Amino acid sequence: MVNGYKPTSLQEALTIRAREQVIPYAGGTDVMVKKPEGVPFLFLNDIDEIKKITEDGEYIRIGAAVTFTQALDSDLVPPLMKEAVSRIAAPAIRNAGTFGGNLGNGSDKADSVLAGFALDARVRLVSEKGERIIPFDDFCVRRGVTNLGDNELIAEILLPKATFDLPYYYKKIGGRNALAISRVAIAGTYKAEDGVLKGISVTVIGEGAFNRYRDVEAELIGKSLDEIRANADEYAKKFIGKMTFTRGRVSAEYRQTVVTNLITDYLATL
Amino acid sequence: MNGITFTLNGKTTCYDGSATDRLLDVLRDTYDMKSVKCGCKEGECGACAVLIDGVLVNSCCVAMGALDGHEIVTVEGYRGTARFEVLSEAFAELSAVQCGFCIPGMLLAAESVLSKNPHPTEKQVREGLSGNICRCTGYNAIVNAVLNAAKEGDGLW
Repeated sequence: MVNGYKPTSLQEALTIRAREQVIPYAGGTDVMVKKPEGVPFLFLNDIDEIKKITEDGEYIRIGAAVTFTQALDSDLVPPLMKEAVSRIAAPAIRNAGTFGGNLGNGSDKADSVLAGFALDARVRLVSEKGERIIPFDDFCVRRGVTNLGDNELIAEILLPKATFDLPYYYKKIGGRNALAISRVAIAGTYKAEDGVLKGISVTVIGEGAFNRYRDVEAELIGKSLDEIRANADEYAKKFIGKMTFTRGRVSAEYRQTVVTNLITDYLATL
Repeated sequence: MNGITFTLNGKTTCYDGSATDRLLDVLRDTYDMKSVKCGCKEGECGACAVLIDGVLVNSCCVAMGALDGHEIVTVEGYRGTARFEVLSEAFAELSAVQCGFCIPGMLLAAESVLSKNPHPTEKQVREGLSGNICRCTGYNAIVNAVLNAAKEGDGLW
């Protein structure tokens, strides 16, 4: 194959990855838009080990080359992830686009990554030397920059089962119904006992990077739901105070206003 | 170095070019499959959609190397089927074709909807065609044509 490698096992792929500069290719839906020239592609789309959704005691494990359509058809994938993935582009893209690609591309608008942040997801990175499992927070540095090593590949996305049954909040604002890249989106889960908040996650698209503001989340824990609901706008401001909005396809003011409204609505409806 | 071997409309073929070449360009320029239209080259219009192993995919977003061992169908291959005949008649009956540019992608998206669900609701058809943009904005006629094809072609899917 000219300008490309088609390994049939992850081990073979890692050997090639360690040996030379290649562009990992899973679904192609992002790679082919940019279509970088002069670097061979490492085709990962036919490696069975990373095309499966499996579970163990702690996690649902989504292989890096699992497509969004596969996830939507799976009984293992939790509702928040399914809802976020169902809003990605349109069927032809969901049939090809993968979880590994969505994360590895480093986009700050990746819908599956947003849901992963809210669900405390981790990523399993592998290289010839071994593996490391890190939270999404540590993998996503900023827009276009990830913590993926030159000799590493994404093997799996790990979703902790502990977050699956929690109530969640998800909203996506795009420019149209289908084929819409998120302008602003929000995902979060929370846990409450006897009217008191025991845990919460809040993640947004709109900041130019994915973040979890765990210090602000921690401030809310232990408060009564009634109190948080009644003062939702004040608590939303605490999150907003930590965020930086920049102009993209829409203005920074638009993003800040809509993110504020969505966090307020989330907290007011806990 | 071996070439990339795949099946195109039922015929096994081997591509010797670069693995990073775009399927859309190769289909049009090397294999003369001119039903596959180039609209946006970024996966946003569906005009270049083809079936890979029976699954709808935009050919502008596929590199040739990914296709080794796979099966591609374009309208040139699909047109010999009874399903195509039913869809073609339904599209003609309802004047669902205006400029025609989006239609090859629409037909394969319709095939994809009906092969998953032979009796779809209007909502399911719209969802299934949601990645295919018609610049003439003839969506209602197209959706109705697919719904009619589902009725007329009962048992084919």
